[in-house]
Amino acid sequence: MQLLLIEDDQEAAQFVLKGLRESGYRVDHAADGRDGLFRATEGAYDLIITDRMLPHLDGLQLVKFLREQGRRTPVLVLSALGTVDDRVLGLKSGGDDYLTKPFAFSELLARVEALLRRSSTAENAPPTRLRVADLEMDLLSRRVARAGRAIELTAREFKLLEFLLRHAGQVVTRTMLLEGVWDLQFDPQTNLIDVHMSRLRQAVDRGFARPLIHTVRGSGYVIRDENKSS
Amino acid sequence: MRINLLRTSAFRHVVGYGVIFTLGVSALLGAIYLLTESVLTNDTDAVISAELDGLTDEYNRGGLSQLNEELTYRADNWGRTGAVYLLVDANLNKEGGNLKAWPQGLPLERWVNFSLEARRSNDDITLHPVRASVMLLPEGHRLLVGTDVAQQRRFMATFRTATLWGIGLTALAGVLAGGWLSYRLSRRVQSVAEACDAIVGGDLGRRLTVSGWHDEFDALAQAVNSMVDRLAEKTQLLRATFDSAAHDLRAPLFRLRSRLEDVARSPGSGAALREGIDASLQELEHVQRTLTTLLQIAQAESGIAQSSAPVDLAKLASDMAELYEPAARERHLQLTVQAQPPCEVRGNRQLLAQVVANLVENSLKYVPPGGHIEVRAQRASSGSQLVVADNGPGIPAAERTHVLEPFVRLPAAAASTAGTGLGLSLVAAIARLHHAQLALEDNGPGLRVVLSFSSG
Repeated sequence: MQLLLIEDDQEAAQFVLKGLRESGYRVDHAADGRDGLFRATEGAYDLIITDRMLPHLDGLQLVKFLREQGRRTPVLVLSALGTVDDRVLGLKSGGDDYLTKPFAFSELLARVEALLRRSSTAENAPPTRLRVADLEMDLLSRRVARAGRAIELTAREFKLLEFLLRHAGQVVTRTMLLEGVWDLQFDPQTNLIDVHMSRLRQAVDRGFARPLIHTVRGSGYVIRDENKSS
Repeated sequence: MRINLLRTSAFRHVVGYGVIFTLGVSALLGAIYLLTESVLTNDTDAVISAELDGLTDEYNRGGLSQLNEELTYRADNWGRTGAVYLLVDANLNKEGGNLKAWPQGLPLERWVNFSLEARRSNDDITLHPVRASVMLLPEGHRLLVGTDVAQQRRFMATFRTATLWGIGLTALAGVLAGGWLSYRLSRRVQSVAEACDAIVGGDLGRRLTVSGWHDEFDALAQAVNSMVDRLAEKTQLLRATFDSAAHDLRAPLFRLRSRLEDVARSPGSGAALREGIDASLQELEHVQRTLTTLLQIAQAESGIAQSSAPVDLAKLASDMAELYEPAARERHLQLTVQAQPPCEVRGNRQLLAQVVANLVENSLKYVPPGGHIEVRAQRASSGSQLVVADNGPGIPAAERTHVLEPFVRLPAAAASTAGTGLGLSLVAAIARLHHAQLALEDNGPGLRVVLSFSSG
């Protein structure tokens, strides 16, 4: 996977580059908007991470140029501007996700993985069934079963599980869940998501020897078949 | 800024109106004067002509001697006031009448004006203007019949003087009214300008004077005053926010720094290091949260229009209740929702969700286990309402406006919980941004927060 990071703050850039490389990505770095646009149009990248305020060319302008050229490369916009409207504007300009500085690296990594996965599955027809190990979700009949046994879920629990299954094998952060499942962009001060997850776990994992939903310390949650991955 | 009286718009208006009014009055009085004069002159001429005709008839009937007789008779007996008669021969020598002689240099025309010297008993001579008509009789005699018009002239002179005075006084009144009006107006404008200057100069306690006359200046003063009230309130809030922000950011930053220094100094076994770093990250998160909330408040307070769209409060209330219900249950609290759709307002869903979240999180913090929280969306006569109510300890009535200010935490709460102290101020700021009324009420027992949106 080849990534491009456009970020003018050297120290922040080194930090992100190091983290992404340690996670196994090849990452190029551009230090201003013009260089970034040049590299983005010349090279074949799977994902572009761009800061919003850049010398020479604003990050949002850059995304607009790329989209006008017909490039569909997913773009993650980083910004210190974090109001609701800034975010909406960022997504309207063609960004695929928006992350407000300062952020935890785990949050960035989770979103990078989600975007890469989304672009690789986008070509396929949307699935009607999602599956991890012996857990199956039928999106048409809206039924969930584990090892052939039906599991009763509330509408919200269903959406939560669906979000996890769509990102199966990837870490999803609490913020991503709040955005993806509830369409809310605030930062709750209580452990809301944890409580919802523990209820979902009760429904999905209780009574089974192998838990499927795992907590990732300091990051969020992941649904995966541990036996298969290890 | 000093205002020059002569340059005020009031003065220019009044002078303009004064000129027009004075011209109008002059035209009117002038017309009356000319008409009166012409009526009087025509009257005199008609009387003279009639008398001249009558005397000519006498002459035609009885010749020169009868005419002379008639003249004498008229002059002596019942002649008109100021009547003047003179009959002369072809050489202008007197034959009869009450004039002494043919006036010197009188032109030989049909109508003539001349002056008579009248000598009173005490020797002073007055000149009497006379209007007269002369008829040439067949034998070369001339008959002059006239009227002393001194009185008439005096009357017209008086009339003329009165007219001029009238015009002059009108103009004077215009100028005085203009001066007075512009003085009064400019004094009031001056006081507005001075007060505004003082306010701009930083004296936010200064207000414009309201005269109590309920005129346009009072309306202006009230509008400016309420603007300054709001400005002062905002400035005060900003100042308080800065002060408290400095405090609330410095404290955790200091803790963070101490922790990191501690970690840096320690010889470092893996677990202790890890623990120090985790604690530092938590502290950092607290700083970030405080900063983010402060920025949100600042943005909402600045009134920068956020994108707004129709938001269904009923749906929002249900969503938020559903989101928080498990967290409430974990704390042994009952969270219920009462939402009667449709309950639509225009606003920003994310910000309104933040409002409900902050209020519910407050309740979660302060309501003891076994308590009850209710989220309600309802239609009132005035518009839609969003309500979060609990049966916790509530807020004493005296504290209710106070808690809306940034960084205020009730003493009981301050020690126990790790809030930023900004939750309710953010709620207040978002409420203001949505032009919604925020009320903290007694839920008997507990707290009821009502956000009332005006319909339309």
